[in-house]
Amino acid sequence: MNESVHLSSQFDEDLSRLRTHVLQMGGLVETQVSAAIDAYATGEIASVKSIVETDRRVNELEKAIDDDCAHIIAKRQPTASDLRLVLGISKIVTDLERAGDEAKKIAKGVRRIYEGGHMPSQYGVGIRHLAEAALSMIRQALDAFARLDTELAKSVIRADTDVDTEFKSIIRQLITHMMEDPRTITTSIDIITIARAIERIGDHAKNVSEQVIYVVDGRDIRHMGKEAAQ
Amino acid sequence: MSSSLIRALLLAVLAAVVAYPIGHFVVPWAGWTFFCASLGLQMVFHFKNFARLDRWSYAPVVDDSLEGEGAWDGIFGRLYRHEKDLRAQIAARDEEIRMLIAAGQALTDGVVLLDDHNQILFCNTTAEDQLGLVIRTDRGQPVVNMVRQPEFVAYLQGEDFSRPLTLRSERGEDRVLSIYVIPYAGNRRLMQVKDVTQTDRLDRMRRDFVANVSHELRTPLTVLAGFLETLQEIDVDRDEQKRFLEMMSEQSLRMQSIVQDLLTLSSIESAPPPEADVVDMVNIVDKLRRDAEALSAGRHQIVVESDGQGDLRGSEPELVSAFGNLVANAVRYTPPGGTVRILWHASKNGAEFAVQDTGIGIDAKHIPRLTERFYRIDRGRSRDAGGTGLGLAIVKHSLNRHQAQLEIKSTPGVGSRFAARFPASRVVGV
Repeated sequence: MNESVHLSSQFDEDLSRLRTHVLQMGGLVETQVSAAIDAYATGEIASVKSIVETDRRVNELEKAIDDDCAHIIAKRQPTASDLRLVLGISKIVTDLERAGDEAKKIAKGVRRIYEGGHMPSQYGVGIRHLAEAALSMIRQALDAFARLDTELAKSVIRADTDVDTEFKSIIRQLITHMMEDPRTITTSIDIITIARAIERIGDHAKNVSEQVIYVVDGRDIRHMGKEAAQ
Repeated sequence: MSSSLIRALLLAVLAAVVAYPIGHFVVPWAGWTFFCASLGLQMVFHFKNFARLDRWSYAPVVDDSLEGEGAWDGIFGRLYRHEKDLRAQIAARDEEIRMLIAAGQALTDGVVLLDDHNQILFCNTTAEDQLGLVIRTDRGQPVVNMVRQPEFVAYLQGEDFSRPLTLRSERGEDRVLSIYVIPYAGNRRLMQVKDVTQTDRLDRMRRDFVANVSHELRTPLTVLAGFLETLQEIDVDRDEQKRFLEMMSEQSLRMQSIVQDLLTLSSIESAPPPEADVVDMVNIVDKLRRDAEALSAGRHQIVVESDGQGDLRGSEPELVSAFGNLVANAVRYTPPGGTVRILWHASKNGAEFAVQDTGIGIDAKHIPRLTERFYRIDRGRSRDAGGTGLGLAIVKHSLNRHQAQLEIKSTPGVGSRFAARFPASRVVGV
């Protein structure tokens, strides 16, 4: 009797540590994204290197967490909500890692633009706004995971629609620019890459939120359209 | 032994005393029957009270239902008082705890209490606001789950709290937080979070100022030294020499104007409040227009929009120099063909002097720092335009001395509007 109590609390501790690791990885990704945005706004390409370095740590954490998940499943055979938590986590880390990769793409795009001697400032406002929105989505998705708050998760899923709309309007604007003045094409293509990466970060935040809803409610609302998040 | 207990005992003895003669003189079974019956009656009486106590003990409440009979009355009474005292004590303690929490909430610094696993036990609203916590849902959560910045996680795990951690908050708008971790009661920790955004900004301004002064003075000095060296070592012809000397005098004039501006700034800062002469604004606006036209040399359209009434109280040279600076900036940063508007409106509620241009505009992120000394949006450009980098700092100080606010609005590519708003107390003649 005593032993089983001990084991189950040990199990709880394992799960709680796993969650903390996921959130730490999330923290690294948040930092990467916000550093990438800063680099875009200020043109300080020195931070690009640290973003790439952080990515290495994110990758390591991803592998370590996946490993922990496999261990927990093999050793503890979790059921019901515990099992959903472990399954959800293994998907969340994939999305976080990809979001980190997108941040790296932004950083590299910024470096290309500034090293080419261009200033992206004329598109600055739109892109920065898009980036702030994506960053706040990823932050809220992680908050929702930490608090297992499905309402917050749903609001992140809804916010993704706005980010998509804004992304499309930036692309339209860039197309106009390129048609007016072909000399801007090189820079514009780089900026499209950056905007695309930001939009993808929003998508990953949405996926994380969907997993949070799965973990809490056991409902899989992927590919069900935004009505599912009402 | 209390009297009620003795009474209960005496009743039993009394039954025995009465039963004995009955058993002895009448028939033994009658005595026994009497004895058993009287004990049984007592038993029923006690059992009734016992059942009541038993029922009460499951959910002790303080009310009058706790009333016993006979020997039980005393016991019930004492229990009732005990329960009542206990509740009063708990209430007092609750109140004390509530007061302590209220004191924690009243602190202007953020406070977070952590247990030995760095899980959140308590945090006040300031900390909630600073770190994005919600105590209602986050109690018991490891703090690193919510404050996920890698620097913070590393600091908390590093276990070296001799120096505070300076953290640029990701949640608030560019807030700088200083976090102290203080161990208490064994393994528990108290996190104190100070908002040092202002101090940090001042520090940065001071550092930037020293660096900038040195840089601004060194540039012309390098040029001067270079030419001097050339003139000393190489024989140059007269024309060349003349050209060199012209460039040298240009650079020395530049240094002079920087030093002059620095002196102006420091004298404005330390000077007593400006005198309250009446400054004739209609006259000044007209003079500003003529200056602007001279500076523009026909490349811009200069428009004056004035009510033609209302004057200011203050120091004329300071105000003229501040307004002149705003006008000159507008002319300088507006491409040829643009328009510069000089606006003067005064009413009973105050007055506004504004300069609006159709120039290159300023990106929003630069606006808050524009009046810092030597702050430059684009390092090369403003120096080419002949600025010392101190103009707007002087303007802001001069205006502040007249209780006026400098309000800057700008859209890149569209134009800027610099407005000086004076309070009603500074306005006369309306």
